[in-house]
Amino acid sequence: MTNCVSSTDAPAAPPRPTVYTVRMPTGLLGFEAIREYTLTFHPEEAPFGWLEARDGSGLAFVVVDPFLVVPEYRPDIPPPDVALLGLKGPEDALLLNIVTIHGPQKATVNLKGPVVINRHTWVGKQVVIGNAIEYSVQHPLPVQQSGE
Amino acid sequence: MLILSRKPGESIMIDGRIHVKVVRVEGEIVKVGIEAPPEVPVHRMEVYLEIQGSNRGAVVTQKPALPRLPVARADGDQTAVAPGHSGPRIVMRPPAQKRGTNAAVQENRP
Repeated sequence: MTNCVSSTDAPAAPPRPTVYTVRMPTGLLGFEAIREYTLTFHPEEAPFGWLEARDGSGLAFVVVDPFLVVPEYRPDIPPPDVALLGLKGPEDALLLNIVTIHGPQKATVNLKGPVVINRHTWVGKQVVIGNAIEYSVQHPLPVQQSGE
Repeated sequence: MLILSRKPGESIMIDGRIHVKVVRVEGEIVKVGIEAPPEVPVHRMEVYLEIQGSNRGAVVTQKPALPRLPVARADGDQTAVAPGHSGPRIVMRPPAQKRGTNAAVQENRP
């Protein structure tokens, strides 16, 4: 541990990531057999997080809080999903949407099927929102172009 | 694919717990009713395939460098509950009283 080392001597330790375990009883669409994920946020990668399968497959998804990148997003969570997740109100829900990295400067986010997580139980589900028709599975993210 | 012919009002039972019913036929539209345990997700096929395809295209096995985005908040902890953060922007209608009641069979139209 470097607690006793003066700040002028050692390089600053990197900020520590926040890590959660998320249970998904119905899995992701197309990956239904994977029921547990680790959700990790590294501060230097904000606003993105990682959703990584805990089955040893190495499968991982980039996720993002949709409201930080699409402020006008208003997803309608269907009542059966509200009941299944035990959500008493919108404040109980953490939404994370899956990002596709197409290239170093191109990324899109799926707004039709957010992963909705109950903040208290850390149980989640990929939900098809009631107003999916209004949104895209490949909504472009405003990536900052380098060198401009 | 198992193919069964059903008249309006007739049903199919899958795995002893998933009930599929031909509710009504209106011209070319067949209204299909599904009763299933809450942990059994049911989706229109085209929406399912679209999201499945998007999920599969999003998988990474070797972590790429992530792009930089301009965002409203710079802090990394997405899970801190900021008052009012998720409140007005997530739409949630109260769950139905009881699954399977025949009161006002509501059509879900995503």
